[in-house]
Amino acid sequence: MTIATGKLRQLVSLERGEIDRSIFSDPEIFELEMTQIFGRSWLFLCHESQIPKKGDFFEAPIGRDNVLVVRQRDGGIKGLLNTCAHRGNAVCRAEEGNVKNFMCTYHGWTYDIAGKLIGVPGLDELYHNDLDLSRNGLREVAQLEVYKGFVFGTLDPQAPPLADFLGRTGRAGLEFLAGQGELEAVPGIQKFVIPCNWKFAVDNLFDWYHPQITHLSAFQTGLLPSPPDITGSKMKISGVAAPDGSELQMPGGVVSGDAGDQLVFIDAFGHAIAGPTVEAFGDFGGLIDHSWRDTPEARANLGPMSRRSIGHVNLFPTCWITPAFNQISMRVPRGPMETEIWWFTFVPKAATPEQRATIIQGAIHSFGPAGFLEQEDGENWAQSTMQTRGTASAKIPQLLQMNLRRGKIVHDSDGLDPPYIECSINEHGQLWTFASWVEWLTGCDWDELRERTTPPDVI
Amino acid sequence: MSIDENLQVSNDPFTRVVRQHQVERFYSDEAALLDEHRFAEWVQLFSDDTHYFMPIRRTRLRRELAKEFTQPGEIAFFDETKQSLLGRVAKIATGTAWAEDPPSRTRHLVTNVRITQDRGDELDAETNFILYRTRLKSEETTWIGSRRDTLRRHEDSFLIAKRLILLEQTVLLSQNLSNFF
Repeated sequence: MTIATGKLRQLVSLERGEIDRSIFSDPEIFELEMTQIFGRSWLFLCHESQIPKKGDFFEAPIGRDNVLVVRQRDGGIKGLLNTCAHRGNAVCRAEEGNVKNFMCTYHGWTYDIAGKLIGVPGLDELYHNDLDLSRNGLREVAQLEVYKGFVFGTLDPQAPPLADFLGRTGRAGLEFLAGQGELEAVPGIQKFVIPCNWKFAVDNLFDWYHPQITHLSAFQTGLLPSPPDITGSKMKISGVAAPDGSELQMPGGVVSGDAGDQLVFIDAFGHAIAGPTVEAFGDFGGLIDHSWRDTPEARANLGPMSRRSIGHVNLFPTCWITPAFNQISMRVPRGPMETEIWWFTFVPKAATPEQRATIIQGAIHSFGPAGFLEQEDGENWAQSTMQTRGTASAKIPQLLQMNLRRGKIVHDSDGLDPPYIECSINEHGQLWTFASWVEWLTGCDWDELRERTTPPDVI
Repeated sequence: MSIDENLQVSNDPFTRVVRQHQVERFYSDEAALLDEHRFAEWVQLFSDDTHYFMPIRRTRLRRELAKEFTQPGEIAFFDETKQSLLGRVAKIATGTAWAEDPPSRTRHLVTNVRITQDRGDELDAETNFILYRTRLKSEETTWIGSRRDTLRRHEDSFLIAKRLILLEQTVLLSQNLSNFF
């Protein structure tokens, strides 16, 4: 499926900060995303601590393909497509576990943990040994790489090496977690379904404008410490009132009118980080340990700007790293209007039981379906998605204009820092994501894609 | 109805019938509080040292079914103390908890009440439940599962000293969990 490049480019205007709402529900766009983005990009699959022993597996999605990430006899990791070479049935129906081999429950074709076909009922009597076992193993993902414990796969043999794809922004984002020392994924991946387009969920991770309203109830009750009131009451909220006419009482918040409270990093292939500086955000009432940022490793692996960021990271297309409680959220597109959310939580292996409990409790009570914050997000995204189906509503442009053309991008090409912007709350991260998204959809080759998604000087 | 101290651990049929009735009545009253949105009263049914836990469930092969649910200390959907339950209730009462404004319409059906152990001061009760929710014009969610409670005898009723909630879902088929089980 293709859509003419000229038509695609009309969907997003980096200059006007507008995007066409139809991209959030158009089935044709979704199909194109499946092939041009999810069929090509490196995607996070799991953490190697989830599959420590030989035969351990975890099933992860790459678009609509299901991949068994399996620990091998030699300690390596393979990504095997969970589909039998015979009729295509899934050869494994568990989400995770440990196996000696995978046997298809349809006709019994059996594969070893490396995916090699080792058993076919009636190979001699019925197939007369004409079946070439060596050509009918489980298919592997085109490339699989592990970066500091994080396992990624891609279906595209032409994709650049993972570290190259991640670039400085992606590597910095993973360093926010890996910089704390050797990690362990805490057992239990939260998975739930939101009837929304996956891009609304991605857009939201950069959005530091919404917490003060969307998540107001969590801050008002003190369930989560309000980030310090760095607005200095400078941001006017007159005119913002509830349906009963009452003015909202906001106990502080993360919204600032000051330049320099926020850092945004944008990079090739559409990766971005956006959010407050450590100085502006603080330690969330003593719950967040920033001490790792001063270690020699952190200084060696992060630039002076990225070391100051506690922003939200998106590894294009959908891998959200949130450093507050060491979590990764995958937004798995299941259809134009259906997205699964998968939450992974990590603790340093060296953490004390108290530190471990703080991280786990912080994670459970912030995000996930019952999280004090995320409870409120789903309906916003679902309703936003639904309105894009209205004949008239779909024609209203989606606005990403906050601080538009005020984001001066600093290219620190010799150092460790990705291209960055010092600014107040903005919509640069979202806008960069959508601008890059269009380039992916055009289907250009990797070199051209890198070139077209190289950040400009101003956004 | 007060509980006769001498009869509470007895297997006398009359005592068992009375105990069953008391527990079932307690659960019916609890469900009514939730469905009438009387959350401040509901949360007072829990003891100060309560633990309210809904683990993550995973599709596992039969031979690995012992690892189906996560355990305390691992990731869960709910891992609550009395304090955090009070916080959840306070959150809804702010008037700015948009996930519950407009409020969900809920109906809790609690059935199959089985008292599995009676230690005198506390008893263990297992129940099945359906929590049916609709929101806005067309959102509809049905959660079915079981609860394993420890009920502590308190005055002439009970306090919930422990609640383990097991859903019959692995991937949670709803956009949030803004309601109580």
